[in-house]
Amino acid sequence: MGDVENQQDLNDLWKYVCHLFPILCHENDDENRQDCTGDELNIMQRIVSEGQEALVEELVLNEIETKLRRDIVPTFWHHFSDSDVTIRGLEGFKGAVDSLYDSLSTLVPLLQTLELLRQTAQSAREVYGQLSLMETFKVMVRASLHSQLPLNYQAITEDFYRISFRVFCNSENKETDQNESAEDIVQCAGCSLEIEFCQCQSIIEAFHDINGKLQELDLLERLAGDVLTTMIHKRIENHVQETCKGSFDVSHIGSLEVWLDTVVMGWLSRIYSSGSFGFRESENKASLSTGETLSKMKQTLRHFLYETYTRTRIDQLFNIIIEYPDSEPAVEDLRICLLKTDLRQHLTLKLQRALETRLLHPGVNTPDILTAYVAAIRALRTLDPSGVLLDTVTQPVRQYLRWRDDTVRCVVTSLTEEGPSELAEELSRGEALQLDDLTPSEEDTKNWETWNPDPVDADPSKTSQSRRTSDIISMLVNVYGSKDLFVNEYRTLLADRLLSSLNYNTDKEIRYLELLKLRFGESQLHYCEVMLKDIYDSKRINTHLHSDTNFNLDNQEFAITAMILSAQFWPHFNKETLELPEFVQEHLNTYTKAFETLKGNRTLSWKPQLGSVNLDIELKDRKINLTVSPIHATIIWHFQTKNQRSIEELSQIMHAPATLVRRKITYWQSQGLLHEIGPDLFELVEESGPRVKGHIPSEIVCDDEETESAMASAQEQREEELQVFWSYIVGMLTNLDSMPLERILQMLKMFALQGPTTIEVGLQELRHFLDRKVAEEKLLFYGGVYRLPKS
Amino acid sequence: MKVTIKSWTGVATWRWVANDDTCGICRLAFDGCCPDCKLPGDDCPLVWGQCSHCFHIHCIMKWLNSQPVHHQCPMCRQEWKFKE
Repeated sequence: MGDVENQQDLNDLWKYVCHLFPILCHENDDENRQDCTGDELNIMQRIVSEGQEALVEELVLNEIETKLRRDIVPTFWHHFSDSDVTIRGLEGFKGAVDSLYDSLSTLVPLLQTLELLRQTAQSAREVYGQLSLMETFKVMVRASLHSQLPLNYQAITEDFYRISFRVFCNSENKETDQNESAEDIVQCAGCSLEIEFCQCQSIIEAFHDINGKLQELDLLERLAGDVLTTMIHKRIENHVQETCKGSFDVSHIGSLEVWLDTVVMGWLSRIYSSGSFGFRESENKASLSTGETLSKMKQTLRHFLYETYTRTRIDQLFNIIIEYPDSEPAVEDLRICLLKTDLRQHLTLKLQRALETRLLHPGVNTPDILTAYVAAIRALRTLDPSGVLLDTVTQPVRQYLRWRDDTVRCVVTSLTEEGPSELAEELSRGEALQLDDLTPSEEDTKNWETWNPDPVDADPSKTSQSRRTSDIISMLVNVYGSKDLFVNEYRTLLADRLLSSLNYNTDKEIRYLELLKLRFGESQLHYCEVMLKDIYDSKRINTHLHSDTNFNLDNQEFAITAMILSAQFWPHFNKETLELPEFVQEHLNTYTKAFETLKGNRTLSWKPQLGSVNLDIELKDRKINLTVSPIHATIIWHFQTKNQRSIEELSQIMHAPATLVRRKITYWQSQGLLHEIGPDLFELVEESGPRVKGHIPSEIVCDDEETESAMASAQEQREEELQVFWSYIVGMLTNLDSMPLERILQMLKMFALQGPTTIEVGLQELRHFLDRKVAEEKLLFYGGVYRLPKS
Repeated sequence: MKVTIKSWTGVATWRWVANDDTCGICRLAFDGCCPDCKLPGDDCPLVWGQCSHCFHIHCIMKWLNSQPVHHQCPMCRQEWKFKE
């Protein structure tokens, strides 16, 4: 009997429970629901007294979850899946969120009742890890939503936020430039509808509404977070690209930060702070967390902004470097950005690649490469004062320059060039040259507090001191690692200049020499000093010889002046031979005799191909005065006795190679004095008839002799120097049979390289030299050792 | 045609008229200068002895000053006398 009574009680109780929580009763339980009466509080107390509150709570929550999964969530996602492109976006998303919000709102009373039940029972337990029932509910909603996530939902959210962001930006802009009336624009920039039907206002309202609702449900982050982030990132990228376009002379960091703070953060804070409806429990807590989220987001976004900006600038870095002194603000920006981002590696790689593709190929002139290299040195020095970046990035440039033949010549030329040249300027600043092999100086103990470690990518074999202090000219000289090459090249250049100008005026050259001495040291440029003194002395000797009547120089038919050089100190001259006309030779001999009388025990050997001659040429119908080189003079001289001469004939008389004569004779063709009447046969043109004149231009080969150097090239010189060692090497190999390269070098260093005229020889250079000997079959190379061929 | 040369600027190198290329004492070229000098030619001349050997003047003077008693030519050991 008691059981039955108990059963009855429980049935009654169930009815009350169902009354409290309508979700528990199904359609067929209708009669139960109707005859339920009573006070909520009483029912709850009954449930608690029966000890069933936990069971009831579980049942209700279970039911809610089922409802969520079965009805609400699929309906919500349905909005996303079936809508096609045209109507989705604003309307689609708004409808979906609205319906979700409404259906979830219906469940709120249930939750409130449950909460009341909990209070009555004074029980508190965790469901899904959340103490509060509202939180539990939110977890359930999120879980169900995520469990049924369709693939393409982001497209719609993205659409929605893009439109709203555009509207937002547009309204911001309107605020700033209102006076710019744009009546001719038919479309609203925000919603891309015609101005009259502009929906911007409603869009903004809807936007705030939806964001508020999502925020209440704690769904904003989950549902739209990804979309928001990607959208803002894209937006930042676009903005940065737009800002950076083309202008390197303005710093952008400040304006970009302001943009981020006002426009982007303004938009975000509106999204996150809108709306406050029933779902929110405590206003304070919520706004606190919103603030936190915002500041966190701001930090991430700021970092992203910096990163984007840095990347953009790195992409442009090559151009920035080329324009360096003007692009200083951009470099400064980049320096600040590099401290905040971790993109050094990226920069090194990118810049190296840019340099390789744009600079280091045969299509670029060496002077251009050098200019870029100098700009890079300056820009990167600003970017990274420690010089590590410069060192690593420009490594390929240096390697490439080493490989180019005319690098040294270009550097030396631009060093001593007249007019505005960066290198010449740099030179006149006059600091002592520092080479890499500088012995590491003691760390400056006074400044230990300001000491900084080298960056991680620094080459540990070099001291930071050497990286920091080396200046531009040292960097250029360091391309080769030795001053000798540069000094030699300068010597050749100087010799060329002195011998081509032939005006005994050395003031300018002396000035440059003094500047170079400051850099390269006295001893290195000693030879050049002697060269300049030779010119000065020559001038004195000439005046002396001409003023003294004893030497009979004044009685000659033409005046001879001479450049008297100290052969030991000048670069090697080209070994060109030339037989001057006897008439001239006699004059030269007279001069030599005069010199011998003046300076006892010394004599002169003439370099017949060098110098300059002033000629008067009398023809039948005209008279010309020209200043030409001795070989030109000799050629035309020989046409005095015979009107027609062949190249071969001339070559025999002049003792000069036929190719040289052929090349030089073009000058007289261009002057219209000679005319080629047959292959290699020339005739004097006594009268300049119109026929010949019209004939000239087509035949003239450009006379390029101005660029020709009287000196042997640096490489030829070097070869000659190495040739000195050949006898040593032969001796070595005769005695020791066979030797590897290293050992040969070692032996040479020990015996041959210790003279007063020390010549530096590197392993590479020696290998080159020996390889050529192998090619000439003067040496055998087998199994890593060199030996002499058995004769 | 008549070619008249009005002036001729030639280039020549000077050298000592001696029976050797290098100084027997410093082994450097006569046309250069002795190790103590910077400028060749007038500033670092050659001298001949009666034995017909010649040296940089600075070299032979140094040598002679280092000889306590007899002044001999370092090449042939004859008594050193400057050629007049």
